[in-house]
Amino acid sequence: MNIIHQVEQLITQDKVDIFLGYKELDGHLIPHGFTRDNLDELKELQTGENRYSLEKIATHLTEKHPDIRIGIIARDCNQRSLNLLYTWNQLNPDQIETVNVNCCPSPLKLHGDCSYLEPKQTGAFKKEHGIDFNIDPDVLVDSYDNNERFSRWMYEFSKCIKCYGCRNICPVCFCTECSLEHASLIEPGTLPADIPIFHLVRATHMAGRCIDCGLCEDACPSHIPLRLLYREVNEIVSSVFDYRPGDGMEKSPFTIIGDKVVLEPKPMDFQVEGEK
Amino acid sequence: MDCKFVPSVCSYCGTGCGVLFEVIDGKINSTLPLKSYPVNQGKLCIKGWNLHEYINSFMRLKTPLIKEDGKFQKATWDEAIDHCAANFQKNKQDFGPDSIGVLVSAKITNEENYLAQKFTRAVIGTNNVDHCARL
Amino acid sequence: MTIKRITFIQELLKFIGLEGRLHLEWISSAEAQKYVQVVTDFTEKIRKMGPNPLRADSILEGEIIL
Repeated sequence: MNIIHQVEQLITQDKVDIFLGYKELDGHLIPHGFTRDNLDELKELQTGENRYSLEKIATHLTEKHPDIRIGIIARDCNQRSLNLLYTWNQLNPDQIETVNVNCCPSPLKLHGDCSYLEPKQTGAFKKEHGIDFNIDPDVLVDSYDNNERFSRWMYEFSKCIKCYGCRNICPVCFCTECSLEHASLIEPGTLPADIPIFHLVRATHMAGRCIDCGLCEDACPSHIPLRLLYREVNEIVSSVFDYRPGDGMEKSPFTIIGDKVVLEPKPMDFQVEGEK
Repeated sequence: MDCKFVPSVCSYCGTGCGVLFEVIDGKINSTLPLKSYPVNQGKLCIKGWNLHEYINSFMRLKTPLIKEDGKFQKATWDEAIDHCAANFQKNKQDFGPDSIGVLVSAKITNEENYLAQKFTRAVIGTNNVDHCARL
Repeated sequence: MTIKRITFIQELLKFIGLEGRLHLEWISSAEAQKYVQVVTDFTEKIRKMGPNPLRADSILEGEIIL
Protein backbone atom coordinates (compact mmCIF):
# COMPACT_ATOMS: atom_id res chain seq x y z
CA MET A 1 0.00 0.00 0.00
CA ASN A 2 1.65 3.16 -1.11
CA ILE A 3 -0.09 5.35 1.44
CA ILE A 4 2.51 4.52 4.08
CA HIS A 5 5.25 5.71 1.81
CA GLN A 6 3.42 8.97 1.05
CA VAL A 7 2.78 9.64 4.73
CA GLU A 8 6.35 8.85 5.66
CA GLN A 9 7.57 11.35 3.12
CA LEU A 10 5.20 14.03 4.40
CA ILE A 11 6.45 13.60 7.95
CA THR A 12 10.17 13.21 7.30
CA GLN A 13 10.26 16.10 4.82
CA ASP A 14 8.74 18.25 7.56
CA LYS A 15 5.63 19.20 5.57
CA VAL A 16 3.35 18.24 8.48
CA ASP A 17 3.81 18.05 12.24
CA ILE A 18 1.25 15.31 12.80
CA PHE A 19 -0.63 12.99 10.49
CA LEU A 20 -4.12 11.72 11.39
CA GLY A 21 -4.75 8.25 10.08
CA TYR A 22 -6.06 4.92 11.33
CA LYS A 23 -4.39 1.96 12.92
CA GLU A 24 -5.60 -1.31 14.28
CA LEU A 25 -5.69 -2.08 18.00
CA ASP A 26 -7.06 -5.39 19.29
CA GLY A 27 -9.19 -5.84 16.21
CA HIS A 28 -10.63 -2.32 16.23
CA LEU A 29 -9.70 0.26 13.65
CA ILE A 30 -9.18 3.52 15.53
CA PRO A 31 -7.77 6.90 14.56
CA HIS A 32 -4.19 7.69 15.52
CA GLY A 33 -1.87 10.64 15.25
CA PHE A 34 1.47 9.74 13.66
CA THR A 35 4.37 12.09 14.39
CA ARG A 36 8.09 12.16 13.89
CA ASP A 37 8.63 10.60 17.32
CA ASN A 38 6.81 7.38 16.55
CA LEU A 39 7.68 6.79 12.91
CA ASP A 40 7.97 3.05 13.44
CA GLU A 41 4.25 2.88 14.13
CA LEU A 42 3.64 3.96 10.57
CA LYS A 43 3.73 0.42 9.28
CA GLU A 44 0.45 -0.18 11.12
CA LEU A 45 -1.37 2.52 9.14
CA GLN A 46 -4.37 1.14 7.31
CA THR A 47 -7.84 2.11 6.21
CA GLY A 48 -11.06 0.18 6.55
CA GLU A 49 -14.79 0.49 6.68
CA ASN A 50 -15.13 2.45 9.90
CA ARG A 51 -15.16 6.18 9.40
CA TYR A 52 -14.44 8.70 12.11
CA SER A 53 -14.68 12.42 11.73
CA LEU A 54 -10.98 13.29 11.50
CA GLU A 55 -11.71 16.92 10.63
CA LYS A 56 -13.28 17.48 14.02
CA ILE A 57 -10.14 16.12 15.65
CA ALA A 58 -8.11 18.50 13.47
CA THR A 59 -10.16 21.44 14.76
CA HIS A 60 -9.52 20.32 18.36
CA LEU A 61 -5.78 20.16 17.67
CA THR A 62 -5.82 23.57 16.03
CA GLU A 63 -7.57 25.02 19.06
CA LYS A 64 -4.74 23.93 21.32
CA HIS A 65 -1.83 24.60 18.95
CA PRO A 66 -2.87 27.24 16.43
CA ASP A 67 0.20 26.90 14.21
CA ILE A 68 0.23 23.16 13.87
CA ARG A 69 0.34 21.60 10.41
CA ILE A 70 -1.84 18.53 10.06
CA GLY A 71 -2.04 15.77 7.49
CA ILE A 72 -5.30 13.92 7.05
CA ILE A 73 -6.56 10.83 5.27
CA ALA A 74 -9.36 12.14 3.10
CA ARG A 75 -12.23 10.31 1.48
CA ASP A 76 -14.68 12.32 -0.63
CA CYS A 77 -16.81 13.26 2.36
CA ASN A 78 -13.75 14.34 4.37
CA GLN A 79 -12.66 16.54 1.48
CA ARG A 80 -16.07 18.22 1.37
CA SER A 81 -16.07 18.89 5.08
CA LEU A 82 -12.53 20.29 4.92
CA ASN A 83 -13.65 22.68 2.16
CA LEU A 84 -16.57 23.77 4.28
CA LEU A 85 -14.43 24.30 7.39
CA TYR A 86 -12.07 26.46 5.32
CA THR A 87 -15.03 28.61 4.28
CA TRP A 88 -16.11 29.06 7.87
CA ASN A 89 -12.57 29.93 9.00
CA GLN A 90 -12.21 26.96 11.30
CA LEU A 91 -9.16 25.55 9.57
CA ASN A 92 -6.44 27.16 7.49
CA PRO A 93 -5.95 25.50 4.09
CA ASP A 94 -2.21 26.25 4.20
CA GLN A 95 -1.85 24.11 7.28
CA ILE A 96 -3.63 21.02 6.03
CA GLU A 97 -2.29 18.35 3.68
CA THR A 98 -4.57 15.58 2.46
CA VAL A 99 -3.81 12.07 1.29
CA ASN A 100 -6.76 10.81 -0.71
CA VAL A 101 -8.23 7.36 -0.40
CA ASN A 102 -11.06 6.39 -2.66
CA CYS A 103 -14.54 5.51 -1.54
CA CYS A 104 -15.70 3.08 -4.17
CA PRO A 105 -13.66 0.03 -5.15
CA SER A 106 -12.02 0.14 -8.53
CA PRO A 107 -9.29 -1.83 -10.25
CA LEU A 108 -7.22 1.33 -10.41
CA LYS A 109 -6.94 1.60 -6.64
CA LEU A 110 -7.13 -1.50 -4.54
CA HIS A 111 -9.03 -0.53 -1.43
CA GLY A 112 -12.51 0.98 -1.33
CA ASP A 113 -13.81 1.65 2.12
CA CYS A 114 -17.00 3.14 3.39
CA SER A 115 -19.60 1.94 5.82
CA TYR A 116 -22.26 3.04 3.33
CA LEU A 117 -21.09 0.84 0.46
CA GLU A 118 -24.14 -1.30 1.13
CA PRO A 119 -27.36 0.61 1.79
CA LYS A 120 -28.87 0.40 5.27
CA GLN A 121 -31.57 -2.16 5.86
CA THR A 122 -35.02 -0.94 6.87
CA GLY A 123 -37.28 -3.34 8.75
CA ALA A 124 -40.92 -4.04 7.96
CA PHE A 125 -42.42 -2.21 10.96
CA LYS A 126 -40.42 0.90 10.20
CA LYS A 127 -41.60 0.86 6.59
CA GLU A 128 -45.19 0.62 7.73
CA HIS A 129 -45.17 3.26 10.46
CA GLY A 130 -42.10 5.38 9.85
CA ILE A 131 -39.77 6.46 7.09
CA ASP A 132 -37.55 4.18 5.02
CA PHE A 133 -33.83 4.98 5.25
CA ASN A 134 -33.20 4.71 1.53
CA ILE A 135 -36.24 6.44 0.10
CA ASP A 136 -35.80 9.34 -2.29
CA PRO A 137 -37.13 12.65 -0.85
CA ASP A 138 -39.30 13.41 -3.90
CA VAL A 139 -40.84 9.97 -3.76
CA LEU A 140 -41.61 10.57 -0.09
CA VAL A 141 -43.47 13.80 -0.83
CA ASP A 142 -45.42 12.14 -3.64
CA SER A 143 -46.40 8.91 -1.96
CA TYR A 144 -48.04 10.29 1.18
CA ASP A 145 -50.28 13.28 1.83
CA ASN A 146 -49.59 15.94 4.48
CA ASN A 147 -51.14 14.25 7.49
CA GLU A 148 -49.67 10.84 6.73
CA ARG A 149 -46.20 12.27 6.22
CA PHE A 150 -46.48 14.25 9.44
CA SER A 151 -47.51 11.27 11.53
CA ARG A 152 -44.68 9.19 10.06
CA TRP A 153 -42.09 11.81 10.86
CA MET A 154 -43.54 12.23 14.36
CA TYR A 155 -43.23 8.48 14.88
CA GLU A 156 -39.56 8.71 13.98
CA PHE A 157 -38.84 11.80 16.07
CA SER A 158 -40.65 10.54 19.14
CA LYS A 159 -37.96 7.88 19.57
CA CYS A 160 -35.31 10.56 20.16
CA ILE A 161 -33.55 10.32 23.54
CA LYS A 162 -31.76 13.66 23.16
CA CYS A 163 -28.30 12.12 23.40
CA TYR A 164 -26.85 14.95 21.23
CA GLY A 165 -24.92 12.29 19.32
CA CYS A 166 -25.86 13.77 15.97
CA ARG A 167 -24.47 17.13 17.00
CA ASN A 168 -21.37 15.82 18.77
CA ILE A 169 -20.15 13.74 15.86
CA CYS A 170 -21.06 16.12 13.04
CA PRO A 171 -17.81 17.36 11.43
CA VAL A 172 -19.25 20.79 10.61
CA CYS A 173 -20.88 21.52 13.97
CA PHE A 174 -18.45 23.78 15.79
CA CYS A 175 -20.50 26.38 17.69
CA THR A 176 -19.21 26.90 21.22
CA GLU A 177 -22.68 27.86 22.41
CA CYS A 178 -25.10 25.47 20.80
CA SER A 179 -28.64 26.73 20.46
CA LEU A 180 -29.90 23.22 21.12
CA GLU A 181 -28.75 23.66 24.69
CA HIS A 182 -30.37 27.06 25.10
CA ALA A 183 -32.91 26.83 27.90
CA SER A 184 -35.59 29.03 26.38
CA LEU A 185 -35.60 27.22 23.03
CA ILE A 186 -35.41 23.60 24.10
CA GLU A 187 -36.70 22.94 27.57
CA PRO A 188 -33.96 21.12 29.50
CA GLY A 189 -34.60 18.07 31.56
CA THR A 190 -37.67 16.73 29.75
CA LEU A 191 -38.06 13.52 27.85
CA PRO A 192 -39.36 12.90 25.25
CA ALA A 193 -37.42 15.74 23.70
CA ASP A 194 -39.29 18.79 22.42
CA ILE A 195 -40.26 17.09 19.17
CA PRO A 196 -40.19 18.11 16.41
CA ILE A 197 -38.63 21.43 17.43
CA PHE A 198 -35.31 19.84 18.33
CA HIS A 199 -34.89 18.20 14.94
CA LEU A 200 -36.26 21.08 12.94
CA VAL A 201 -33.91 23.53 14.69
CA ARG A 202 -31.00 21.25 13.90
CA ALA A 203 -32.16 20.85 10.30
CA THR A 204 -32.38 24.63 9.89
CA HIS A 205 -28.87 25.02 11.22
CA MET A 206 -27.65 22.40 8.77
CA ALA A 207 -28.81 24.52 5.84
CA GLY A 208 -25.71 25.52 3.93
CA ARG A 209 -23.51 23.33 6.16
CA CYS A 210 -24.39 19.67 5.85
CA ILE A 211 -22.00 17.81 3.56
CA ASP A 212 -23.90 14.51 3.62
CA CYS A 213 -21.37 12.27 5.30
CA GLY A 214 -23.97 10.18 7.13
CA LEU A 215 -22.17 10.05 10.48
CA CYS A 216 -25.25 11.45 12.26
CA GLU A 217 -27.41 8.55 11.15
CA ASP A 218 -24.69 6.12 12.22
CA ALA A 219 -24.54 7.71 15.67
CA CYS A 220 -28.29 7.86 16.36
CA PRO A 221 -29.25 5.14 18.85
CA SER A 222 -32.91 5.35 17.78
CA HIS A 223 -32.32 4.87 14.03
CA ILE A 224 -33.94 8.13 13.00
CA PRO A 225 -33.40 8.71 9.24
CA LEU A 226 -31.41 11.91 9.77
CA ARG A 227 -29.44 11.62 6.55
CA LEU A 228 -32.68 11.67 4.59
CA LEU A 229 -33.86 14.80 6.38
CA TYR A 230 -30.60 16.64 5.80
CA ARG A 231 -30.51 15.43 2.19
CA GLU A 232 -33.84 17.17 1.70
CA VAL A 233 -32.40 20.30 3.34
CA ASN A 234 -29.49 20.19 0.91
CA GLU A 235 -31.89 19.78 -2.00
CA ILE A 236 -33.86 22.83 -0.95
CA VAL A 237 -30.69 24.88 -0.61
CA SER A 238 -29.33 23.71 -3.94
CA SER A 239 -32.55 24.28 -5.86
CA VAL A 240 -33.48 27.64 -4.32
CA PHE A 241 -30.02 29.16 -3.83
CA ASP A 242 -27.91 27.04 -6.19
CA TYR A 243 -25.38 26.38 -3.41
CA ARG A 244 -23.80 23.03 -2.68
CA PRO A 245 -21.78 22.98 0.58
CA GLY A 246 -18.27 21.68 0.23
CA ASP A 247 -18.16 22.01 -3.55
CA GLY A 248 -15.97 25.07 -3.66
CA MET A 249 -14.87 27.89 -1.45
CA GLU A 250 -17.99 30.07 -1.64
CA LYS A 251 -19.70 31.18 1.51
CA SER A 252 -23.15 29.94 2.42
CA PRO A 253 -26.03 32.17 1.25
CA PHE A 254 -27.35 32.35 4.81
CA THR A 255 -24.26 34.23 5.92
CA ILE A 256 -24.37 36.98 3.32
CA ILE A 257 -26.49 40.00 4.16
CA GLY A 258 -27.37 42.74 1.73
CA ASP A 259 -27.02 40.86 -1.54
CA LYS A 260 -29.66 41.15 -4.22
CA VAL A 261 -32.17 38.33 -4.02
CA VAL A 262 -34.56 37.35 -6.75
CA LEU A 263 -36.97 35.38 -4.55
CA GLU A 264 -40.59 36.46 -4.25
CA PRO A 265 -42.91 35.72 -1.31
CA LYS A 266 -45.34 32.99 -2.25
CA PRO A 267 -48.98 34.01 -2.77
CA MET A 268 -51.30 32.91 0.00
CA ASP A 269 -53.92 30.98 -1.88
CA PHE A 270 -51.74 28.45 -3.67
CA GLN A 271 -53.17 24.95 -3.60
CA VAL A 272 -52.28 23.03 -0.46
CA GLU A 273 -52.89 19.29 -0.54
CA GLY A 274 -55.52 18.21 1.91
CA GLU A 275 -57.08 21.68 2.07
CA LYS A 276 -60.84 21.60 1.86
CA MET B 1 2.34 17.58 21.15
CA ASP B 2 0.78 14.27 20.34
CA CYS B 3 -2.64 12.88 19.76
CA LYS B 4 -3.74 9.33 20.36
CA PHE B 5 -6.95 7.45 20.93
CA VAL B 6 -7.54 5.03 23.76
CA PRO B 7 -10.42 2.56 23.62
CA SER B 8 -12.25 1.87 26.85
CA VAL B 9 -15.62 0.92 28.30
CA CYS B 10 -18.19 3.40 29.59
CA SER B 11 -18.28 3.45 33.40
CA TYR B 12 -21.93 4.37 33.86
CA CYS B 13 -24.64 1.73 33.52
CA GLY B 14 -24.34 -2.02 33.23
CA THR B 15 -24.53 -2.11 29.41
CA GLY B 16 -20.86 -1.34 28.92
CA CYS B 17 -20.71 0.54 25.60
CA GLY B 18 -17.30 0.90 23.94
CA VAL B 19 -15.90 4.42 23.95
CA LEU B 20 -12.84 6.02 22.43
CA PHE B 21 -11.05 8.73 24.37
CA GLU B 22 -9.28 11.44 22.41
CA VAL B 23 -6.05 12.15 24.31
CA ILE B 24 -4.17 15.30 23.29
CA ASP B 25 -0.87 15.98 25.06
CA GLY B 26 -1.68 13.43 27.72
CA LYS B 27 -5.04 14.91 28.68
CA ILE B 28 -8.46 13.57 27.75
CA ASN B 29 -10.15 16.04 25.46
CA SER B 30 -13.34 14.42 24.21
CA THR B 31 -15.21 11.14 23.89
CA LEU B 32 -16.23 9.28 20.77
CA PRO B 33 -18.11 6.00 20.35
CA LEU B 34 -16.14 2.94 19.28
CA LYS B 35 -17.71 2.03 15.94
CA SER B 36 -16.59 -1.57 15.71
CA TYR B 37 -17.70 -2.57 19.21
CA PRO B 38 -20.56 -5.07 19.00
CA VAL B 39 -22.46 -3.90 22.10
CA ASN B 40 -23.21 -0.35 20.99
CA GLN B 41 -22.23 -0.38 17.28
CA GLY B 42 -21.02 3.18 17.24
CA LYS B 43 -23.83 4.79 19.28
CA LEU B 44 -23.75 6.31 22.76
CA CYS B 45 -26.22 7.80 25.20
CA ILE B 46 -25.78 11.28 26.62
CA LYS B 47 -23.94 9.98 29.70
CA GLY B 48 -21.43 8.20 27.50
CA TRP B 49 -20.82 11.25 25.32
CA ASN B 50 -19.77 13.27 28.39
CA LEU B 51 -17.41 10.85 30.13
CA HIS B 52 -14.50 13.23 29.61
CA GLU B 53 -16.15 15.91 31.75
CA TYR B 54 -15.99 14.17 35.09
CA ILE B 55 -12.52 12.67 34.71
CA ASN B 56 -10.73 16.00 35.01
CA SER B 57 -13.40 17.82 37.00
CA PHE B 58 -12.31 20.12 39.83
CA MET B 59 -15.23 18.78 41.87
CA ARG B 60 -13.72 15.33 42.36
CA LEU B 61 -12.97 14.38 45.96
CA LYS B 62 -9.33 14.03 46.95
CA THR B 63 -9.64 12.98 50.60
CA PRO B 64 -12.39 11.36 52.67
CA LEU B 65 -14.67 13.87 54.41
CA ILE B 66 -16.45 13.51 57.76
CA LYS B 67 -19.36 15.73 58.77
CA GLU B 68 -18.78 17.45 62.10
CA ASP B 69 -21.15 20.15 63.37
CA GLY B 70 -22.89 20.28 60.04
CA LYS B 71 -19.71 20.96 58.02
CA PHE B 72 -17.52 18.55 56.12
CA GLN B 73 -13.96 18.25 57.46
CA LYS B 74 -11.04 16.55 55.72
CA ALA B 75 -10.01 13.22 57.26
CA THR B 76 -7.72 10.29 56.60
CA TRP B 77 -8.87 6.89 55.38
CA ASP B 78 -8.36 5.29 58.80
CA GLU B 79 -10.43 7.95 60.55
CA ALA B 80 -13.22 7.61 58.05
CA ILE B 81 -13.36 3.82 58.23
CA ASP B 82 -13.32 3.87 62.05
CA HIS B 83 -16.10 6.45 62.08
CA CYS B 84 -18.27 4.35 59.73
CA ALA B 85 -17.66 1.10 61.61
CA ALA B 86 -18.50 2.72 64.97
CA ASN B 87 -21.75 4.14 63.61
CA PHE B 88 -22.77 0.84 61.99
CA GLN B 89 -22.24 -1.00 65.29
CA LYS B 90 -24.09 1.64 67.31
CA ASN B 91 -27.10 1.55 64.96
CA LYS B 92 -27.13 -2.23 64.92
CA GLN B 93 -27.12 -2.34 68.72
CA ASP B 94 -29.71 0.40 69.26
CA PHE B 95 -32.19 -0.33 66.48
CA GLY B 96 -31.46 -3.85 65.30
CA PRO B 97 -29.76 -5.04 62.12
CA ASP B 98 -32.79 -4.35 59.90
CA SER B 99 -32.33 -0.60 60.37
CA ILE B 100 -29.37 -0.64 57.96
CA GLY B 101 -29.74 -0.86 54.18
CA VAL B 102 -27.10 -1.13 51.43
CA LEU B 103 -27.36 0.01 47.80
CA VAL B 104 -24.92 -1.41 45.24
CA SER B 105 -24.43 -0.07 41.73
CA ALA B 106 -23.31 -0.88 38.20
CA LYS B 107 -20.42 1.53 38.46
CA ILE B 108 -18.42 -0.89 40.65
CA THR B 109 -17.19 -4.32 39.65
CA ASN B 110 -19.11 -7.58 40.09
CA GLU B 111 -16.63 -8.69 42.73
CA GLU B 112 -17.18 -5.53 44.76
CA ASN B 113 -20.94 -6.01 44.45
CA TYR B 114 -20.60 -9.55 45.79
CA LEU B 115 -18.51 -8.29 48.68
CA ALA B 116 -21.08 -5.64 49.55
CA GLN B 117 -24.01 -8.04 49.67
CA LYS B 118 -21.97 -10.59 51.66
CA PHE B 119 -21.09 -7.86 54.14
CA THR B 120 -24.76 -6.89 54.46
CA ARG B 121 -26.07 -10.41 54.88
CA ALA B 122 -23.31 -12.05 56.95
CA VAL B 123 -21.79 -9.20 58.95
CA ILE B 124 -24.67 -6.80 59.51
CA GLY B 125 -27.24 -9.54 59.43
CA THR B 126 -30.00 -8.04 57.28
CA ASN B 127 -31.31 -8.72 53.79
CA ASN B 128 -31.91 -5.03 52.97
CA VAL B 129 -29.62 -4.96 49.95
CA ASP B 130 -30.67 -3.69 46.52
CA HIS B 131 -29.21 -2.46 43.23
CA CYS B 132 -29.51 1.02 41.74
CA ALA B 133 -30.74 -0.37 38.42
CA ARG B 134 -33.82 -1.86 40.08
CA LEU B 135 -34.99 1.55 41.22
CA MET C 1 -32.13 37.59 4.44
CA THR C 2 -35.67 37.27 5.81
CA ILE C 3 -37.06 36.00 2.58
CA LYS C 4 -34.19 33.52 2.23
CA ARG C 5 -34.93 32.03 5.62
CA ILE C 6 -38.72 32.05 5.23
CA THR C 7 -38.57 30.38 1.83
CA PHE C 8 -36.29 27.72 3.24
CA ILE C 9 -38.50 27.05 6.25
CA GLN C 10 -41.63 26.90 4.10
CA GLU C 11 -40.02 24.16 2.01
CA LEU C 12 -38.81 22.31 5.10
CA LEU C 13 -42.25 22.38 6.73
CA LYS C 14 -43.72 21.08 3.50
CA PHE C 15 -41.37 18.10 3.69
CA ILE C 16 -42.38 17.34 7.27
CA GLY C 17 -46.08 17.63 6.44
CA LEU C 18 -47.01 21.00 7.97
CA GLU C 19 -47.39 22.82 4.68
CA GLY C 20 -49.05 26.17 4.28
CA ARG C 21 -49.02 27.40 7.86
CA LEU C 22 -46.31 30.04 7.39
CA HIS C 23 -46.75 33.09 5.17
CA LEU C 24 -44.66 36.16 4.44
CA GLU C 25 -46.02 39.47 3.18
CA TRP C 26 -44.34 42.86 2.76
CA ILE C 27 -46.71 45.57 4.03
CA SER C 28 -45.90 49.17 4.89
CA SER C 29 -47.49 50.84 7.91
CA ALA C 30 -49.44 53.11 5.60
CA GLU C 31 -51.25 50.27 3.82
CA ALA C 32 -53.92 49.62 6.41
CA GLN C 33 -56.47 48.17 4.02
CA LYS C 34 -54.06 45.60 2.65
CA TYR C 35 -53.10 44.57 6.20
CA VAL C 36 -56.73 43.90 7.12
CA GLN C 37 -57.28 41.92 3.95
CA VAL C 38 -54.20 39.74 4.45
CA VAL C 39 -55.02 38.97 8.08
CA THR C 40 -58.62 38.04 7.31
CA ASP C 41 -57.68 35.82 4.38
CA PHE C 42 -54.96 34.00 6.30
CA THR C 43 -57.21 33.44 9.31
CA GLU C 44 -59.84 31.91 7.01
CA LYS C 45 -57.26 29.68 5.37
CA ILE C 46 -55.94 28.39 8.70
CA ARG C 47 -59.44 27.82 9.97
CA LYS C 48 -60.17 25.69 6.94
CA MET C 49 -56.96 23.73 7.43
CA GLY C 50 -57.91 22.74 10.93
CA PRO C 51 -56.00 22.84 14.20
CA ASN C 52 -52.27 22.37 14.40
CA PRO C 53 -51.53 18.69 14.99
CA LEU C 54 -49.08 19.62 17.77
CA ARG C 55 -49.44 21.64 20.96
CA ALA C 56 -50.19 25.27 20.21
CA ASP C 57 -46.89 26.65 21.52
CA SER C 58 -44.65 24.27 19.59
CA ILE C 59 -44.62 25.40 15.98
CA LEU C 60 -44.53 28.92 14.61
CA GLU C 61 -48.01 29.63 13.32
CA GLY C 62 -49.15 32.83 11.72
CA GLU C 63 -47.58 35.48 9.59
CA ILE C 64 -44.66 37.84 9.75
CA ILE C 65 -45.38 41.45 8.73
CA LEU C 66 -42.85 44.13 7.98
